[in-house]
Amino acid sequence: MINVALAGQPNSGKSTIFNMLSGVNQHVANYPGVTVDKKSACIKHHGESYQIVDLPGTYSFSMFSLEERVAKSFLLDEETDVIVNVVDASNLRRNLYLTFQLLELGKPVVLVLNMMDVAKRREIAIDCDMLAQMLNVQIVESIGSQQQGKAEILAAIERASQQSMTKPFMINYNELETYIAQLEKQITLESTIARRWLAIKALEGDDLILKKVGLTTESIRDLTATVHTRHDLDVDQSFACQRYASADLVYHKCVEEKQLGKVNLTAKIDRLILNRWLAFPILGLVIYLIYQLSIIGGYKLTNYTWPLFASLKNIVIDMVPEAQFIDLPPITDFAIWMVNSAIALLNYLPIFFILFALIAILEDVGYMPRMAFILDRVFRRYGLHGQSTLPLVLGGAFVGGCAVPGIMATKGIADERARLATILTVPYMNCLAKVPFYTLLLGAFFPNQMGQMMFYISTVTLFIALIVARFLTSTILANRETAPFIMELPPYHLPTIKGVLLRAFQRVYLYIKKVVTVVMAVAVVLFVLLQYPGVPGDKMAGFRDEANNALADFDRQAKKTGVYTLVDEQTEVFALINLYDGYKAKRMLAGSKKAVVALDQLFLAANPQLFPLVRPENSSRADAKKINKAVRKLSKVNKRLQMAIKSEKIANSFLGLFGRALEPITRFSGFDWRINVAFLSSFAARESAVATLGSIYETGQAGQRAEESIAQDGVYTPLHAVAMLLFMILSPPCIATMVVVKLQSNSYKWMLFATFFPITLGIIISSLFFTLASSLGWSGIQMMQYFYICVAALALALAFIKIKPSAWQVGE
Amino acid sequence: MTQNSKARLLLSDLQQDQKATVKTCVANGVLKQKLLNMGIIPGAEILMIRNAPLRDPIEIGIQNYFLTIRRSEAKLIRVEAL
Repeated sequence: MINVALAGQPNSGKSTIFNMLSGVNQHVANYPGVTVDKKSACIKHHGESYQIVDLPGTYSFSMFSLEERVAKSFLLDEETDVIVNVVDASNLRRNLYLTFQLLELGKPVVLVLNMMDVAKRREIAIDCDMLAQMLNVQIVESIGSQQQGKAEILAAIERASQQSMTKPFMINYNELETYIAQLEKQITLESTIARRWLAIKALEGDDLILKKVGLTTESIRDLTATVHTRHDLDVDQSFACQRYASADLVYHKCVEEKQLGKVNLTAKIDRLILNRWLAFPILGLVIYLIYQLSIIGGYKLTNYTWPLFASLKNIVIDMVPEAQFIDLPPITDFAIWMVNSAIALLNYLPIFFILFALIAILEDVGYMPRMAFILDRVFRRYGLHGQSTLPLVLGGAFVGGCAVPGIMATKGIADERARLATILTVPYMNCLAKVPFYTLLLGAFFPNQMGQMMFYISTVTLFIALIVARFLTSTILANRETAPFIMELPPYHLPTIKGVLLRAFQRVYLYIKKVVTVVMAVAVVLFVLLQYPGVPGDKMAGFRDEANNALADFDRQAKKTGVYTLVDEQTEVFALINLYDGYKAKRMLAGSKKAVVALDQLFLAANPQLFPLVRPENSSRADAKKINKAVRKLSKVNKRLQMAIKSEKIANSFLGLFGRALEPITRFSGFDWRINVAFLSSFAARESAVATLGSIYETGQAGQRAEESIAQDGVYTPLHAVAMLLFMILSPPCIATMVVVKLQSNSYKWMLFATFFPITLGIIISSLFFTLASSLGWSGIQMMQYFYICVAALALALAFIKIKPSAWQVGE
Repeated sequence: MTQNSKARLLLSDLQQDQKATVKTCVANGVLKQKLLNMGIIPGAEILMIRNAPLRDPIEIGIQNYFLTIRRSEAKLIRVEAL
């Protein structure tokens, strides 16, 4: 096995080269202890296996960013046989800055001149032989986006792995050489990395290297002070200047540029995209398009994927034991619950896929840093970063997004404090699954002011997110590392379809692997909490009586017909009801007339005797029609009783008890145990808040929707409704989001914080406003308006209070 | 422009399309290293390209690429107008 590390500066097209070398056979994981993606692939070439690791893109090997530290520790700790350095051929001079530091490692290096097409178009001629000779490396020309150069790179890696380093490349650092030599003597560490490299990094004061070689920061500080007094030189600056000077030298000997000074395409596009007046409209348009395509378009797509999931559900239901009238076997109940929970999450896959693909496109095109450039000033005031824009939009600008892709999109934020703050605030944005809950309550209590209320709900979330971000960054995150906003605006690039799809699939797969599994585990727990200890005996006896009456009624009706022998036994009646319900469920999914005919034939073949009673249109017998009517009635009674049992079960369940136990606290915001249970069950997936509330409120009356039964119930006033809305606006992330918070912040502590902080905030705010509103006699609308005004005013006020500058901002 | 004000010119003071060379940088620690890595070294040529639509940060051209930097950091870099 030969270990190959792929290194290069950001925007050098390193990922396209990695994709080209590895194909789809990639393994994505994290570097130990951090949230930086580690992509690796194992490939075979001429009978030898090569393990290729894609290092994070870095400009240098300093201590500035997490990526630089990760790349450095990888090279220090892992045995690397060959380094493949991808450079942007059209910007060779600057890319050489990293190349020199890679060459100093003393390992065989293959230099890949990528984007040769761009270089050719700009009439940049590179003398590769001269370059190879000067740097003492193999050089391969390639165009990653067009899959050119794969065989040549592999051949070069193969050659490099057999070669031994006889004459490592050296930059002459002039006055510093004495000190490098002095440190080299002090370093005793046995490593495959050149001592000179370790000595240079030690002299640069790199804490990671110092620890590794056993030198102290103090000794280096003394040394740099000596250099300063003896030669009037700043060590860091001398290193950087020498590297740039050497890059200049190599560049002038090897590269000839004909169009020097000509305005390139990127600059021309930027005149438009970053124009003072056009920047915001264009940004708005991009955000609007992302939102339309992913959330709205993806939602439409779910109309097509939903029948797939529903038929999956029918398959599962077919496999488990059938219901015996009102007695649902626990295993069946459980299976249906699990399938429903899974579908609720899988339903979002189309939305996620489109979103992840669009994000990948924006990343590849190079718009992301420009977005940050445009909006940084606004977000900085709240302790966030220009790059927080996209996560917040995905989390739910307008009327609903999803925190999961939003939090996943925080990966690129360079500033650690702003990144954590963004992760923790994205869940406050309006989640798509909260919308049914809002509509339920607004439909019940504010049918005439729905638009107005919805406007408040959808815009107030951004203010809340900004306030929370500001609060977190100036309190518990105050001492987190921040990074100065120094960012390259890369040249625009056309993304490759393969690269975009690959990334979208990888992210969707990550979602399925990490999130769905956890949510399923929680669904099991929730099932137990909602099902046990079950309906008390006396209540159940009452339901049973009702059921028996209905059955007796059916029996009387059936006796009058000539087909009584088909249904004279109870098991036959149960089978008939199940057949009736099963047929109805499948019939709903059959789109065309042809499909209905096929379905009928299938059912008839399986149940030649009973099916004519379910679908009497196909038979001319009046008896069958009569039975059919009776079955329909019986099925309705069955549904009502099952609902009532379910509602009774929830009331009596552990979760119901817990909801009651919480009443003393939630009393102040007007929540009774039923609302508590709905909120508790909304953890698994937010949709279930509506479902639970619905089933608690299900009166069994045909045609009455949950909105109506809640409004007519009389227990709740519009003030209760607003209190519920306020809690839901602030309410904690669902489990899927919590898992992603854990993934991206790499800490369970933050996950717990992200859960309990919003709950506390939600309880406090909703109690405060509920109490104020009840004692001052506000209407529901007034309560919402005052809340909105308070939040908006606070958010604007905070923008004018300056944030304390960070440590690195203090100059001389 | 007097000799005195010329000597005190900062990167954040440059007008759009104005050219300058880097003189010194008064940053420390990681910020200094980052600036050096991005090519802000004494003698490097800088072109002030534009302000962000909200005036901060700024975009400059240096070492044949485009870099954005906040005004607060640009204040730490002393330049000489060309």
